[in-house]
Amino acid sequence: MAPARTARPHRLAVAGSLAALMLALHVLAPAQSAQTPLNLYGRGATGANGVVAAAKPDASRVGIEILKRGGNAVDAAVATGFALGVLEPNASGIGGGGFMVVKLAGMKEAVVIDFRPTAPAAATPDMYKLDERGRAVGNASVEGGLASAVPGEVKGLLYALEHYGSKRLTRAQVIQPAVDWAERGVPVTVNLAQIIKDNFGKLGKFENGLAIYAKDGFPPEVGDTIVNKDLAGTLRLIQAQGADAIYKGDIAGRIVAENRKRGGILTLEDLANYQIKVRKPITGTYRGYTVVTAPPPSGGTHVLQLLNILEHFDLAALGEQSTAAAHVWAEACKLVFADRSKYSADPDFVKVPYAGLASKAYATTLAALIKPDAVMKNPEAGDPSKYESGSTTHFSVMDKDGNMVAVTKTINMFFASGVVVPATGIIMGDDMDDFELKPGSVNSIQPGKRMLSSMSPTLVLDPQGRPFMALGSPGATRIIPTLAQVISNVIDRGMPIQAAISAPRLYQGRMGNLSMEGRYSINAYNGLVALGHTVTVSPDFDAAFGGVHAVLFDHAARFLHGGADPRRDGQAAGY
Amino acid sequence: MKTRTMIAAAAILAAAGTAGAQTWALKAPIAAKPAFVTTVGQSADIEMVKVLLDRSAVPYKANAQATAGELGASGAKTLVVVLGGSTKGLGAAGISADAEIDRAKALLAEAKKLGMTIIGVHVGGEARRGQLSDRFIQAAVPACQYVVVVADGDKDGFITKLCGTTIPIDKVERISKAVEPLQKAFK
Repeated sequence: MAPARTARPHRLAVAGSLAALMLALHVLAPAQSAQTPLNLYGRGATGANGVVAAAKPDASRVGIEILKRGGNAVDAAVATGFALGVLEPNASGIGGGGFMVVKLAGMKEAVVIDFRPTAPAAATPDMYKLDERGRAVGNASVEGGLASAVPGEVKGLLYALEHYGSKRLTRAQVIQPAVDWAERGVPVTVNLAQIIKDNFGKLGKFENGLAIYAKDGFPPEVGDTIVNKDLAGTLRLIQAQGADAIYKGDIAGRIVAENRKRGGILTLEDLANYQIKVRKPITGTYRGYTVVTAPPPSGGTHVLQLLNILEHFDLAALGEQSTAAAHVWAEACKLVFADRSKYSADPDFVKVPYAGLASKAYATTLAALIKPDAVMKNPEAGDPSKYESGSTTHFSVMDKDGNMVAVTKTINMFFASGVVVPATGIIMGDDMDDFELKPGSVNSIQPGKRMLSSMSPTLVLDPQGRPFMALGSPGATRIIPTLAQVISNVIDRGMPIQAAISAPRLYQGRMGNLSMEGRYSINAYNGLVALGHTVTVSPDFDAAFGGVHAVLFDHAARFLHGGADPRRDGQAAGY
Repeated sequence: MKTRTMIAAAAILAAAGTAGAQTWALKAPIAAKPAFVTTVGQSADIEMVKVLLDRSAVPYKANAQATAGELGASGAKTLVVVLGGSTKGLGAAGISADAEIDRAKALLAEAKKLGMTIIGVHVGGEARRGQLSDRFIQAAVPACQYVVVVADGDKDGFITKLCGTTIPIDKVERISKAVEPLQKAFK
């Protein structure tokens, strides 16, 4: 059924760039955004020396300051990462984890640092009691102690710093901006204020959260600041002791005690035994550009798979926001998500056919299933084995030397488990919810296993093999089509990076409605409905469609361009 | 120095005067305790309204998905409906917007039948407006006898217009400021 329309005039007046202006020409739905009033101005940035694109402007500036002080892209990324844990506490932090793709100018091949959390040793496939809808009773996989896995963030970021940093800056110097922000206080934006309101109940449930994230017992208002002295203290300990500050000793004891008080099963041994994994990236091509991305349990394989399918269609000729192009995107997404749910999991526990999933030959068989005049109703997973041979945040850093870093990290849902460890400021993640909660799936819970993720930090090299683009996004499963759409917007349509990020997006899972942002063309909407798609129209700029932060290297001009997502608080910085 | 002190004192007095000058549309208490709180739209704003009622010393029971049948057994004299929709909340509750409106209408009708006072509260501001939220607001406000709104959520006068001349509406600048009108509404 078609969604209701309104006669409310669209908001051309707030469009801050020509691109955004053009993209706003067609409005299907009224504005309802967590970021009202929406700010489209000043999201992008340029620089001859370096650009950082992150989910908070202050975090981007932290990275730039590190570059100015002689740090390399990894130093800047690690500083930005710690700062985001303070400045965007709802999305990532010490209680979570993520993936980082690093390619320094001198490296022949990129490296992937997997610092995804792992299931505790006492975790079992049937550890959650499920209701009739297959969800954990009492929301236990999302809220409270049982939702938390063993966090990986601090070990991951510090591993990157130690192995790929410039060594010109100390650990203490790189972490200091995060300490400063925790002491000084984080500005409450429209976006953050709304997220706190939405999660007020969860934060209140476990007592300690509201001590930090409430003012006089109510959510802070826009313009307030959130000071987190406890987190500053924890960061100072990391400055002094490194990862041991979190994984051993007093703070580890506090984490375990609070987790178990809230029904969790974490132990000191779980924390002491946590290890990051250094993985080989998965690499493919899209129309001559090389795409380097994170393998399972990350989602990069499926970004590549989606691009491989799309390569069989001339998207440029099909037209921007046309019915035909949107139909191809929707059908390709269905096939990718069918495969993802069947095959993708932690490769240390399950044999994932990711080379087959990412192969051109397999994509050819999938592309042949897409008919221009028919809608797939029940797409099934394919068989890639024949082709075998072998709430999150994202930020990207590139510098003039061609060093590239893409990092996606998360505590999972906004404000995660809601459990804040007393006297540390640490919000414990709820990544356990990313496992399949029922036994019998490749992604079912096992002790020490990493849960499947859609996080897909990605690097793109141009046809000459030069650094071209670093990008990634939050947004759960929407990450995969979102990244593919941004890459396509740049490569197929020649859009500047900011326009490519701001352009309206669509999303299609294996089943269910095709959803599209309200700015998508009305003609495409009508055409898709006529083809048999059931279309849900989302707000004009819908944060659910992700928050892409990317840097693009214009080699002709020897200039870096950063793009950041207006759907959240993203803003790039450069110099 | 003396002039500066006088100016400062005058400013403080003026501010105090302004703060105390808010007049309320509701002139006398209309609601009896205890209250029953539910949402119309499944938004998380119910958590903030619970804090407001705690601060207002109003005892209450709360159920975001309450059914009409629960009202009579609750012993509540006043129904507080938290206005505004949330896609995420509806998804978590496993109900559609249409089903939520049906639930709300049945609940409001039962409250009237039981002689309960109905108070609508909108604390979500501008973000808790738009196509989805406005459907719920439209369905619930006409049944209310009093409405309290954080002003940002009624910039366009939509809720004021729904209240018309028969339903008193009071607006506050911040969520925390909603304590006072709610306190005054209860006997």
